[in-house]
Amino acid sequence: MHEQLDNTLRMKVALSEEEWASVKSFFIPKKLRKRQYLLNAGDVCQYFCFVEKGLLRSFSVDKHANEHVVQFALEGWWISDMGSFLSGDNSIYNIEALEDAELLLLTKQAMDDMLNQIPKMERYFRMLMQNNIVVLQRRILGTLSLSAEEKYKRMMLLYPDILQRSPQQYVASFLGITPETLSRVRKQVSSGK
Amino acid sequence: MAHNKTIAIIGATGNVGSAIAKCLSVTSNRLLLMSKEAEALAQLISDIRLASPAVEIESATCAKEASWEADLIVVASSSIEGKEIAERIREVAIGKIVISVSQPINGCLNIVASPSNISAAEELQQLLPHSKVVKTFNTAFALDRFTPKSICNFADSFIAGNNGAAVDTVVELVRSAGFNPIPVGDLSASRMLERMQLKTIDQPVKNRSGWLNWLNRLTN
Repeated sequence: MHEQLDNTLRMKVALSEEEWASVKSFFIPKKLRKRQYLLNAGDVCQYFCFVEKGLLRSFSVDKHANEHVVQFALEGWWISDMGSFLSGDNSIYNIEALEDAELLLLTKQAMDDMLNQIPKMERYFRMLMQNNIVVLQRRILGTLSLSAEEKYKRMMLLYPDILQRSPQQYVASFLGITPETLSRVRKQVSSGK
Repeated sequence: MAHNKTIAIIGATGNVGSAIAKCLSVTSNRLLLMSKEAEALAQLISDIRLASPAVEIESATCAKEASWEADLIVVASSSIEGKEIAERIREVAIGKIVISVSQPINGCLNIVASPSNISAAEELQQLLPHSKVVKTFNTAFALDRFTPKSICNFADSFIAGNNGAAVDTVVELVRSAGFNPIPVGDLSASRMLERMQLKTIDQPVKNRSGWLNWLNRLTN
């Protein structure tokens, strides 16, 4: 139930057995079925969510009812709407399970208590946030500067599991291209042109 | 995430469990009904779907799986079974609201005191230290157990719990199910609620507005 979290934390911090037992007690275990939502736009995001199993996406819907995928989250990843989670404002994002999922949820209060009680977790989250900033900067630059083919090739390199497991229209949305363009690019790349 | 909750009812085919399931079926929450009595469970779900066609309801055969999927758990079993259930769900109930409706009574309708002389709800809280146990519904169906047609007629449901936010959530849930929620304090107040229920079984109250009199009588 906590295997992925255990592995993920071990890569960054060395917790004692007592600290690990305490860390587990802050997380709410939650199963979601495919197509169920963890967060609905308009609600306050109450959880910082760790994915033990499954695949989720966060997305917004514009005034023309077009969906824009902001993030995917696989096993070992975190997903939330940080703005809403921290401020208590209503979220503009939805978070949906694309597969049956096993999640570990932190409320704001639980996170604050955990970080106060276990300084190593404060260090872990600092490193997590640093990495997130790097990933976000890379994603912004990629969105602004790369061609459709370059975006797809980079996704093949960085996130091959998402390409395999997600419906292709969500991949296209994540890359900021149309499904038709994605289909054309995939054919070009697979034929080596 | 104020969207509808998934509520697991463990022991859903018992008198109280089935009554709670029927009352919660009029709310917008998704219900997972768990019972070992497969036929009775299928019949209960069929009855509920007939009465509330819009309800989202499913059966479950495993208390742990149902509780893992749930946002809120109702343990609607005897206090003895409740201890076994607590062992099974402890890991997946962390951080969740667990509603206790257990009555620690024996065949003579006497309170079975625990060694530490605490209530069934407090015992459940000790067994689930990282969950938020709330006592409610235990008095709500006292009369209706014997007159099922009048289920949900009775208005008051007393609520006791140590976590303020959890009590607030249960207040809203109880209200949405058609009851009048009455918070009565922290979980130690469940001792009074469990004795109150015993009185109502032992000496059925004819006048359905008499709950507060009973409350006063028990507390004075």
